[in-house]
Amino acid sequence: MTGLGSHFKIILTLSWRNLWRNHRRTAIMLGAISVGVWAMIFMTSLMRGMVDDMLNQGIRNLPGHIQIQHPDFLDDPSVVNSIGEPGGELLTALTQNGTRSWANRIRVPAVIASERESRGINLIGIEPAAEADITGLPAQISAGRFLESNQDKGVIIGAKLAERLETRLGKRVVIMSQDPDNNIAERGFRIVGIYQAELAAQEEFNVFAARATLQKLLKIEGLVSQIVLVDHDYRDVESLYRRVEAATPDGLEVKPWYEIDTYLAAMFNLMDGFVLVWVIIIFLALSFGLVNTLVMAIFERVREIGLIQALGMRPGLILYQILLESLLLLLIGLALGNLLALVTIKPLESGLDLSAVAEGMAMMGVGSVIYPSLTLYDVLLANVVVVLLGILTSILPAWRASQLDPVRALNTH
Amino acid sequence: MKDVTLRMAWRNLWRHWRRTWLTVGAMIFSNGLLIFAMSLQFGSYDMMIDNSLQAYSGHLQLQHPRYLDEPKMRYALDDVTELAERLRRELDLDSISARADGFALASSNERSYGLQIIGVDPAHEPLVSTLPGLVKQGRYLEPGMPGEIVIGAVLARNLKVGLGDELTFIGSGFDDSFAAGIVTVVGIFESGIADLDRALAQVDLAYFQDVFAMQGRGHSLTVRAQHVDDVESLQWQIGELLDTDKSLSLRHWDELQPGLRQSIQADMASNSFMYIVLIVLVAFSVLNTQLMSVLERTREFGTMMALGLQPARLSRLVMLETGLMTALGLVLGIGVGLVINLYMARVGFSYPGMDEVALKFNLPERIYPSFTILSMTLGPAAVAIGSLLAALYPALRLYLLTPIDAMRAV
Amino acid sequence: MSAIRCRQLCKTFKQGDEIITGLDHIDLDIETGEFVCLSGPSGSGKTTLLNAIGGLDTPDSGEIHMGDIRVDKLERGPLADMRLHHIGFVFQAYNLIPVLSAQENVEFVMEVQGVPVAERARKALDILKEVGLEGMEDRRPAQLSGGQQQRVAVARAIVSHPDLVLADEPTANLDSVSAAHLMGLFQELNENHRITFIISTHDKRVMSYAKRLIKMRDGKIIGDEAQ
Repeated sequence: MTGLGSHFKIILTLSWRNLWRNHRRTAIMLGAISVGVWAMIFMTSLMRGMVDDMLNQGIRNLPGHIQIQHPDFLDDPSVVNSIGEPGGELLTALTQNGTRSWANRIRVPAVIASERESRGINLIGIEPAAEADITGLPAQISAGRFLESNQDKGVIIGAKLAERLETRLGKRVVIMSQDPDNNIAERGFRIVGIYQAELAAQEEFNVFAARATLQKLLKIEGLVSQIVLVDHDYRDVESLYRRVEAATPDGLEVKPWYEIDTYLAAMFNLMDGFVLVWVIIIFLALSFGLVNTLVMAIFERVREIGLIQALGMRPGLILYQILLESLLLLLIGLALGNLLALVTIKPLESGLDLSAVAEGMAMMGVGSVIYPSLTLYDVLLANVVVVLLGILTSILPAWRASQLDPVRALNTH
Repeated sequence: MKDVTLRMAWRNLWRHWRRTWLTVGAMIFSNGLLIFAMSLQFGSYDMMIDNSLQAYSGHLQLQHPRYLDEPKMRYALDDVTELAERLRRELDLDSISARADGFALASSNERSYGLQIIGVDPAHEPLVSTLPGLVKQGRYLEPGMPGEIVIGAVLARNLKVGLGDELTFIGSGFDDSFAAGIVTVVGIFESGIADLDRALAQVDLAYFQDVFAMQGRGHSLTVRAQHVDDVESLQWQIGELLDTDKSLSLRHWDELQPGLRQSIQADMASNSFMYIVLIVLVAFSVLNTQLMSVLERTREFGTMMALGLQPARLSRLVMLETGLMTALGLVLGIGVGLVINLYMARVGFSYPGMDEVALKFNLPERIYPSFTILSMTLGPAAVAIGSLLAALYPALRLYLLTPIDAMRAV
Repeated sequence: MSAIRCRQLCKTFKQGDEIITGLDHIDLDIETGEFVCLSGPSGSGKTTLLNAIGGLDTPDSGEIHMGDIRVDKLERGPLADMRLHHIGFVFQAYNLIPVLSAQENVEFVMEVQGVPVAERARKALDILKEVGLEGMEDRRPAQLSGGQQQRVAVARAIVSHPDLVLADEPTANLDSVSAAHLMGLFQELNENHRITFIISTHDKRVMSYAKRLIKMRDGKIIGDEAQ
C-alpha cells in the first residue's frame, strides 16, 4: 500500500484528467447517475411522506401510540369491557416526564338520530384538554366550538354525518346506546361543533362528547374504555411501552400501535424494504452504463496503459487509478443527484396536491396532499449503495486492465 | 440478407461486442423487470376489482337519481321486484337482483348495535354477490322464509349471538312510521371485508318491504356482468331499455366505489414514475453507446459522405443499428419476462408483511401475474421507443458533419 | 458534363493564428478524358484543389464549372448526388468500410445509387476481377494488403463508370510494384472508358504516367504542360 500512498497525488491527477478526456461520455454517464440518484431520493421521500401521513392519521384514529384497555375490548368494544380510571402506580407512570400526553377515553357503539334519519356511530367520550395532542380534533372544527370541559353537555359530529342526518350546528340529536346492564341509555345532545376530517369515513362514524357526561349517561362512573398515550415519535415508543406495561395492574392489556393496527405496522415495515429494493433496482439499471463507460475508457487507452506499464507502473496502481476514476465519476454524479433531489423536493414541502384521486388515497388511508419527507437515513442509503456497489462493479474491468500484457498492449491499435 | 446496409449495421453492432451486450443487457434487465412488475400490477388490479365488486356492490346498480349522494330511505324505486324480473327477461341475464336498504338498531339479549339491514331476493342474490357463498356457519336465506336473518361474523360476535338466536331490530319505515321485527339468525358470513362483517345484515326482501312499509319499493337493482370487460356494453343495453325513464339512474362501479378506481390510479401514477425512470436510464445507456459509436466512426462517415452519401442515409444507418440492438433487447427481454411470469404464475408473488396490506385491498396473500398482451409488451415497447428517441441525437448530429473535417478526424 | 473549368479560385485556412493560402486565384480547364497529374510539395494546394473540384470543400471565391453545373453553388444534397453518380474518389488512406468485405464495399455504393441487386453483384465481381482481386471478394479490409485495399477503393470509385476520378496521393502508402500496378490500371481505365483522371501526387513514378502535368506551389499553378 506504500505505492498507493506515495503516488496518490499523481494517480488522482491522472484519474481526474482521464475522466474528462471523453467529456461527452462522462457527461452522459453523469446525467444517468444523477437522474438515477434523484429518482432514488425523490421517490423515496414521496413514499415516506405518504406512509408518514398514513401512519400519523392511522395512529390518530386509533388513537394514540399506546393503549391500555380491557383484554376483551378490542374484540368486543362494549361498555361491559370497561376499566377503572388509572390510579396508583399506573397514574404515577403516566404523569412522569417522558409521556407527551395521555387521556382517558370512552368508546361505545351507539345510534344517533336526528328528526329525519338514524345512523350507527362510534360514540367517543374525550377529555378535551388532552385532545389536541391525541387526535388533533380541535384544529378540525369547521363550525361551532370544541368541547370545553369533561362535563360539557354538547356533541361534536362530522360534516358528512350532519349531511346524512340532515341536521346542522345548534340542532338537537338523540343518542342511544346501552348501559352495562343492557338497558337502553338514551339522551338528547345539542350539536355544538362540526368537524372536518381528512378521511370521510371518520367524519361519518366518529361522534365526540365529554367524558364525564358519557360516564353519567352510560352509568359507568369511574370507568373508561381506554387509556391512550402519545409519545414523542411513533417510530420509537418501546421505552414508554415497557415502562407503562410494568406499571399496569394485572388484568389490563397494554398494546402499542403496531400491535393494534397490523395494516399500519405492515406498511411501516414494508417501507424500509421498499426503499432498499427501489435503490438497488435503480443501481442495477445504472450499473450497465457504468461498466460500459469503464470498458470503453479502458479500450481506448490500451496502448497507453501498456506504455505506463512499460515505464514501470505496477499493475496494482493501474487498478487503483481506474477505480479512482470510477469513484470520481460516482461522487460527482451523486453530488448532482442529491442536489437535484433537494431542489425538486424543497418546492413540494408545502404539499403535493393529489385531490384528483382523493378517494383512492383515502382507501389507502392517506390524505389527498402528500408532504415529501426527506430523511437522512434514506439519503445515506442511496449514496452508500451507489458508491459501494459502484466500486464493486468497477473492480472487474479495472482488474482486467491491470492484467494487460504491456508488449501486446503497446502493439494494439 | 441481400441488403448491404442491413449487413453493415448488424456487423457494426459487434465491433464492440462488450459495449453492445452491456447496452442490450440494460434493455433486457429493464424489459424483464417491467413485464414482471406490470403483469403483477395488472393482476392485482383485476383481483382487487373483482374481489371488491363481487362481494357486494356488483358491476352496475340501478338507483333513484339522488340515492348515490344521499342514500336515504325515501329515494326508492317503485316495484323493484317486477322491474328486476323485466330486466332479467329482456336482457336474458339472471344475475340481476333487487335490494332495499335500511338502518336499524339490533338488540340481542345482551347487546345492541346499529346495523345496515338489507332486504334481498334470496333466489337471485347469490348470482350477483359472493356474500351468500361466504356464509361460514348455518345457511343463507331461502325464498319464502320470512323472519330469517344472515349477519356478519364481527357483528355476531359483538352482539353475542349464534345460530338460532333471536334478534330484535327497530328502525323507521318508508313513511317515517316505527318499524320493528324479530328475526332468527340462520347464517353468519365472513367476507374478510371489515365494513361488511361488522355492520351488514340481510333479510328477505318481501319481509323487509313489509316491516319497513316499503309497499313494493326497493333501493337498488344490482347487476353483475359475466366479466368486468362486459360492463360497458351491458350498461349501454340497460340504458337503451330504460331510455325514457328519468326516475332511474344506472350507476357504474366507478361511481359506486370511487375509491377503488382512484386507488388504482394513484398506484398506477406512482408505478409509472418508477417505470419512466427505468426507461430513461436505459435511454441514457443507448445514448452513450450510440454517441460513442458515431464519434469513433467519424472518419468512416466522412468517407461515405465523400462517396456521395447523404447525411440522411447515415442517420438511417445509425437508427437501423439502434433498431437492431433494441429488437435484440426486446426479444430477449420478453423472453426473460415470460420466464419470470411463468414461474410467478406457478408460485405466486408475496413479500414478507405484504399479506396485511393485501388484505386491506381485498387481495389474497399471494398475487399472481396477469398474462396479457398489454402487460407483456407495454414495458418493452416503451423501452424500445425510449432507446430510439435517445439515438436521435447521435443520428442527427451527422447532419453537422462535413466530409473534409470528418475525414481529418482521428 | 465532365469538362471542368475553374476561374479565379481562392481559398484560405486558419491554422492557429496563421492564415494559410490554400488556393490563390486558380484558373484551370480540364477536358473530358484527360489524364492529369497535380504535383507539388505538401501545402502547395493540390488536395484543396481536388476537394474543391469534387465538391467536398467550397472555395472562398471564384467559380467551378463542371459541364453546365456551377459546382461551387450547389447545396449539400445535390452536391452529394453529384459525387455519388458522376465522381469517383480514391483517397490516400484507403478508407474502406472495415465491416464490409471487398465485394460488399463495392456493392454498397451501388446500393445507394439504386442499382438492382443482381446487377450489383455481377458488376462488383466484374470490376474486382478487372482490378486484379479475383478470389478475394469475401475478404475484409483487414485481411488485404495496402495495395489490395487501394485496388478495392479504385474498384469502388469506378464501378459505376463516373465521368471523373479524383485521386489524392493514391500511391503514398504503396510499394513500387503496387504503385505501378495501380497506375497501369488508371491508365487502362482512362483509355478504355474515357474517364477523366485528376491525380494529386509528389511521386515521380506517378507523374511519368501523366498526359498533362500541372505543377503547383503556394496555391498557385506554376507549370502546366502536356507530356
